[in-house]
Amino acid sequence: MSHPTEVRPYRYTLAERLYLPLLAGLAVTMRHFLGNLFRRRKSYTIQYPEERRRYSHRYRGHHILTTRPDGSPRCVACFLCATACPADCIHIEAGEHPDENIEKYPVVYEIDMLRCIFCGYCVDACPEEAIIMSNNYDMAYFNRDQTIVGKADLMRPFTVDENQLGYRPVYPEEERQRAAMRREALDLVAAARRSGAGEQVEVG
Amino acid sequence: MAVATAPSPPLEKYPAGSVEPVEPAGLDQPTWVVRREVLAELARDLRDHPETRFDLLLDLCGVDYPDREERFEAVYHLYSIPRGERLRLKVPVAEADPVLPSLVPVWKAANWFEREAFDLFGLRFDGHPNLSRILCHEGFQGHPLRKDYDPARRWILTEDKVYQPKFDLPPAGEDDMFERMVINLGPSHPATHGTFRVMAVLDGEVILASDVEIGYLHRCMEKMSETHTWQQVIPYTDRLNYCSSFINNVAYCRTVEKLLGVEAPPRAVWARTILSEFSRVMDHCVCNGATLVDVGALTNFWYYFQPREEIYGLLEACSGARLTVSYGRIGGLAQDLPPDFMERAWRLLEIIPPFVADVEKLVDKNRIFLDRAVGISAISGEEAVNWGWTGPCLRASGVGYDVRRAHPYDLYDTVDWEVPVLYGGDVYDRYRVRNAEIRQSLKIIRQLLERGMPEGPYIVDDPHVALPPKEACYNQMEALIYHFKLIMDGIQVPAGERYDMVEGANGELGFYIVSDGSSKPYRLKVRPPCFPIFSTFPTLIKGGTVSDMVATLGGLNVIAGELER
Amino acid sequence: MKDTTTETMTGESWITTRLDALEDWAQRHSFWPFPFGTACCAIEFMSSVSAHYDMSRFGSEVVRFSPRQSDLLIVAGTINDKMAVPLKKIYDQMADPKWVVSMGACACSGGFYRAYHVMQGIDEIIPVDVYVPGCPPSPEGLMYGILQLKEKVTRDRKRLRARAGEAATAAAAAGEPEEEASGRSHGAVAPA
Repeated sequence: MSHPTEVRPYRYTLAERLYLPLLAGLAVTMRHFLGNLFRRRKSYTIQYPEERRRYSHRYRGHHILTTRPDGSPRCVACFLCATACPADCIHIEAGEHPDENIEKYPVVYEIDMLRCIFCGYCVDACPEEAIIMSNNYDMAYFNRDQTIVGKADLMRPFTVDENQLGYRPVYPEEERQRAAMRREALDLVAAARRSGAGEQVEVG
Repeated sequence: MAVATAPSPPLEKYPAGSVEPVEPAGLDQPTWVVRREVLAELARDLRDHPETRFDLLLDLCGVDYPDREERFEAVYHLYSIPRGERLRLKVPVAEADPVLPSLVPVWKAANWFEREAFDLFGLRFDGHPNLSRILCHEGFQGHPLRKDYDPARRWILTEDKVYQPKFDLPPAGEDDMFERMVINLGPSHPATHGTFRVMAVLDGEVILASDVEIGYLHRCMEKMSETHTWQQVIPYTDRLNYCSSFINNVAYCRTVEKLLGVEAPPRAVWARTILSEFSRVMDHCVCNGATLVDVGALTNFWYYFQPREEIYGLLEACSGARLTVSYGRIGGLAQDLPPDFMERAWRLLEIIPPFVADVEKLVDKNRIFLDRAVGISAISGEEAVNWGWTGPCLRASGVGYDVRRAHPYDLYDTVDWEVPVLYGGDVYDRYRVRNAEIRQSLKIIRQLLERGMPEGPYIVDDPHVALPPKEACYNQMEALIYHFKLIMDGIQVPAGERYDMVEGANGELGFYIVSDGSSKPYRLKVRPPCFPIFSTFPTLIKGGTVSDMVATLGGLNVIAGELER
Repeated sequence: MKDTTTETMTGESWITTRLDALEDWAQRHSFWPFPFGTACCAIEFMSSVSAHYDMSRFGSEVVRFSPRQSDLLIVAGTINDKMAVPLKKIYDQMADPKWVVSMGACACSGGFYRAYHVMQGIDEIIPVDVYVPGCPPSPEGLMYGILQLKEKVTRDRKRLRARAGEAATAAAAAGEPEEEASGRSHGAVAPA
């Protein structure tokens, strides 16, 4: 098998030579144009900032340091997130925690937002679910001093709105969704059996 | 003379000991260690001999082993399209005299690869037409991929050291009344395909000769992979071909999995295939959209970007990010698929075809476009293979080489699909092949969705490779310890080397990885599909006009992230 | 040499302040971006001018690839040492008033490429008005950055005029753009 040494370019048909297919093209653009103009079909554009696209609950946005019920950070300064970070953007200084069971806490916890690549490795690495991400993508800074975000800006209180959360280890609503889907499937099976369908139905 | 493990040209004519096969135990492809004195002749034999016919030079890179007496090793990866066989040649050279014969007369693909080896390692190639730096700037000193080079040592480029082009011009005739003009396109230019600089010598409107300068996005990914752990390299791979980032993840993870000897579970393989195909659709949308913008058909760009947005919705639901997903992990996927994955995927299969159909109605038979695209920068299959082309550009020239068909991986050999091949080799056929591939990708996805999602884990169940699930981590001591070790020490990949490939959106995306048993790669070389394709650019546009140059540039789908890593 | 701003300010009439306000309003509602796109962020920039997000709703319909015809330089993607020369040239070629948005981790700070060929942030060579983090920032993130820039344009002008008296000679003497007044012709020169 040898490779072709000659090229065989496309040969025009008569209609193409006469520019006739242009009319089909014009029909396409007119269809879109008139459709957007007259029909009340919602256009594809999202009118940011009034409308916002609903990203999933796994969106990797701004980081959040979760807190214990008393307001202190869950973080035990184990440095796993700082080690896992490919961009080396997490800076932690550990201090001794008065409670023996907790042992350590972060005196300083800073993330350089301009270095961060939002990969989520810190969330994957954390054994305490102390750092998670929100689905907030609105971030902009005017000067570099504002970009090193410290503990205070990262912490959110214990009861936080689930709709604002993004990438994190456990997704309760996904578990609920899965459970609902399983229930639905089981209901269908039961209904089929009751109506005497007689087939073996497998439920995954 | 030891017996080679693959069919070979008669090796008796070479002096004893100059071509030695490496023991194949644990190696993925036949590997020969070759002395540089016989390299040029051996290469010609390998290419021309009817039993071997290694017509495609896939990759040429250097590796630095400072502890060895012959410090550098030039590694050549060859492929024979008719026979489907691979071969690796390794040529050791010493630091004092790092000279090798240039293989440009044998495979034109070697041109830029040799320049890159010179730039990054300092290897010199005798007989190369233009051995100068290609990725690093002209004011750079030193050879950065050597092991003794500090990764963060930068050199500032000043204006006087900017690259001077080298044109291969026909001599000016005596009756040449017109002055030739040199124009410069880039590196910041409206085609937004990335950043390249094309300098062309024009005679009136016709391009007599041109030169291309790249390196404007050289981000040192290969050096960064030597300083990061195996898992941390995954975000770097995302940013190679950023239009279809998941495919890069898959390519890298597969190579490392083979080195480790683990296999991703069926659920992960199924998801990887589907998401790779969606990524391929995305990439072809951008490529065709950008080509059409360059020739003036702006509307199609909007039409093509809407499918991309919809696919972003799916990728974001899986991984959390739209573009640079980092969804693959060594051993499987980063997290499980979302519960609504099937609904989203089915919905995508309904949404995407109308947009592509609209573009085809606007453009495919439109004489305005045909005049801009048919016959422009045509290249025959034979030439293209010699230049190292793979992927849709090669399939538009009549050579039906597709890694998914020739060396099936994942689930590609279990579904029914075709490899679209056209014979024009011009801009029009490259555009049409991509549209046809979008259709084939959707066909593959449909069949896989109909098969249903396999149950089971989404990542391999090996605590030395994959992080344990979080519930186990919170509750069990053993899981926590594995978790800790994996993050702190990283995955320990056994020593060895491997070249593994997938069909990227542009062609064969290969990863040549050398491991020394530690937690960081020893050498990671990406075989970028668009690197040899773009090296052909000066030849393709010779004799054309500037508008042809722009149309050609779009159709080659040169993604700078991949081109320059 | 004595700058006339201070004098015109004290005697400034209502009409010139309204003209300034009009000029501000016009400028901030019609940024003409120059997408200096090099890498992945350029693709997200392309998404933000596409139908789904449509930056032309903010007045940026006209995406100009010429520095002479644009006023907002959006640096989207990694800038390395080789690209620094064209970037500086293009920034210098842009006419005042001009603003710079640094989009993405790589343009802001080099991102995770602490490497031998990558510039660790474009503010090594040009002054930046807004840093938009993300890798890549989603189109909404970029649009948020541009909306923030809009506010800055107004704040800038007021603050500049308030400091015009003291800052005029200082800025002219120092010759370096200050953080807030980055890139723009300083308050030293008031429009005629």
